[in-house]
Amino acid sequence: MPSDQLLEVEDLTTTFGTDDGTLTAVDGVDFDVDTGETVCIVGESGSGKTVATESITRIIKTPPGEIEGTVRYKGRDLLAMPESELRDIRGNEIAHIFQNPQEAMNHCYTVGWQITEALQIHQDVSDEEARAKAVDLMDRVGIANASARFDDYPHEFSGGQKQRVMIAMALVGDPDLLIADEPTTALDVTVQAQILRLLDELQEEFDMGVLFVTHDLGVVAEIADRIVVMYAGKVMERGGVLDIFDHPAHPYTQQLLECLPEFGGTTVGGIPGTLPDPHDPPDGCRFAPRCEYAEGACRAGEQPEEIEVSPGQRVSCVHYRPGMDPSVVRNDNFEPVGGDGAADGEGGVSRADD
Amino acid sequence: MGFGRYVTARVLWAGVVSLVITTITFLLLSAAPNPDVQQATTQAALQGGDPAAAAERARELRGLDEPLYVRYFDFIQGVYTLDWGWSSSRSQPVLEAVVGALYYTAQYSIPWTILTVILGPLVGVYSAANMYSWRDHAATGFAFFGYAIPNFFFGIILLLIFGVWLEVIPVVYNTDVAVFSVENVVQLAIPVFVLVTGSIGALMRVSRNESAEFQNSDFMKTAKAKGVSPLRAYAYHVMRPTLVPVSTTLVGQLLALFLGSSLLVEVVFGIPGLGRLTFEALLSQDTNLVLGTTLFFTFVAVVGNLIEDLVFTVLDPRISYDDR
Repeated sequence: MPSDQLLEVEDLTTTFGTDDGTLTAVDGVDFDVDTGETVCIVGESGSGKTVATESITRIIKTPPGEIEGTVRYKGRDLLAMPESELRDIRGNEIAHIFQNPQEAMNHCYTVGWQITEALQIHQDVSDEEARAKAVDLMDRVGIANASARFDDYPHEFSGGQKQRVMIAMALVGDPDLLIADEPTTALDVTVQAQILRLLDELQEEFDMGVLFVTHDLGVVAEIADRIVVMYAGKVMERGGVLDIFDHPAHPYTQQLLECLPEFGGTTVGGIPGTLPDPHDPPDGCRFAPRCEYAEGACRAGEQPEEIEVSPGQRVSCVHYRPGMDPSVVRNDNFEPVGGDGAADGEGGVSRADD
Repeated sequence: MGFGRYVTARVLWAGVVSLVITTITFLLLSAAPNPDVQQATTQAALQGGDPAAAAERARELRGLDEPLYVRYFDFIQGVYTLDWGWSSSRSQPVLEAVVGALYYTAQYSIPWTILTVILGPLVGVYSAANMYSWRDHAATGFAFFGYAIPNFFFGIILLLIFGVWLEVIPVVYNTDVAVFSVENVVQLAIPVFVLVTGSIGALMRVSRNESAEFQNSDFMKTAKAKGVSPLRAYAYHVMRPTLVPVSTTLVGQLLALFLGSSLLVEVVFGIPGLGRLTFEALLSQDTNLVLGTTLFFTFVAVVGNLIEDLVFTVLDPRISYDDR
């Protein structure tokens, strides 16, 4: 991997010491984000997406958490860095937006105070300059009458407006990487679309890499360049958004897409079964206990190595190993890589070059 | 309604409350037998005079033959013009006696209040930040000890140790030393310590539990993600919201101790303050003086609650001034 990448995460493992033993939330995960691109981490609740992203800048509490692996940001290892050095990066170069804007702001301070705090702890900026910049950003993220609302308290804002303020707070330090952890989940659908559009515009404007966590594949389809599918702390599949939507390789990805009626999904009521116990994950593929194609080889050893099934698309599934028959897990509409048939239109997204 | 109007309304309301309390005090007193009249009656009977005539004279002398409403307006006027009558047991005006005693009470109450207000939340938040460590356990143990042990008893023990055995402090408070002198600080250290242990416990517990909630809040995660240092995060993002519930506990705690324990502590340490003044006025049945100290404590309570309400609205911006 070239080291000029914006963010490279290698073998990231986050565990928590609990009364019932060690809980492994993220188990040896790799992914990377480049400037200007949006990478989505997808998976159901409890699959370790949030923990993975909060491990990047170590905002997870340690202890009880313990983070191992390598997180390189512009070539510097964030996990090996002293806390004080990392603090200069948090909020300044790498910014976070969280899931619940209702709780993410301190109710005792004005939104202006909270936005300028993010700027002034990193940069030597006068109060007037900080205010001007914050008002400018509030205006940019779509808060009407921003200079008057600067002195309002969070409870005087609606949920969508609060998330806009949170975005302004994240952007005030001109970050190069924005980590957005389900930023639209707590918002209603119309507001969701506005926030997504806003993030999309701002990404271009600020030329940021965006790491976007969501369980909502509908959101992914709108914003992602690349997708990382996580399940039970492991990466199941990764690839470009069109590849994943068009010919999902992993049975888990396929089932996730099956749950989406707007993409032709027919499964009602979700994927049967539940996530494995993170204290004691199963041998072999983590998804094997819920997988309809699982066989003996799936239940032994480690999570299968990732196998490239099309350029940039890699899957962790034994059925793609040499000598195995991948057609077992492929849907009817699967067209092999390099095949001449286009997707039959069942997927909502089709390849641009088809 | 803006903040200014809210403050005005609260202050006016505090005035009304104090008027209601004064009125009730007056009615209770006028219904009770007057000790001076009783004394005159007894004396006349003993000396072979006419008890009824003596009682009449005594009542006339004190204006008690006037109609109730006239006496009420006189009384109210007296209270608000600081003419609180004559203390027969001390042979000085009541106000003078109260102010004189307040001089000594203030000397230990002010440092006691300041220490409580600063130490209580600080130790509580520190305790929460190091939850279940030995420091937290030590602070918690101290809080429960101070809260549980009766102040006067703790005072007697400490007086025995430091006053009688070690002879570091005088057994009876020495009024001759200057207010701002080392001797005064030394002799007040023990009573202040005793009162702080009594008042700090509840505050520490409240701030520990409240801040435990805030230090795990989403906005602390936001602060951390912004790059805020732990010290700043605790000072701004935990301490500030913690002070809101703490402020409601604080005034009640201080007032309860001010009215109750300080009286006992003053008696134990021989400090000629308000507590002892009240105590002695009760013993010598000096009605005017009892009334005077009661009124003083009442006003302290009313003003204390007023401050609490105002501080509360300043600390928590979500509390609106509307509709009140």
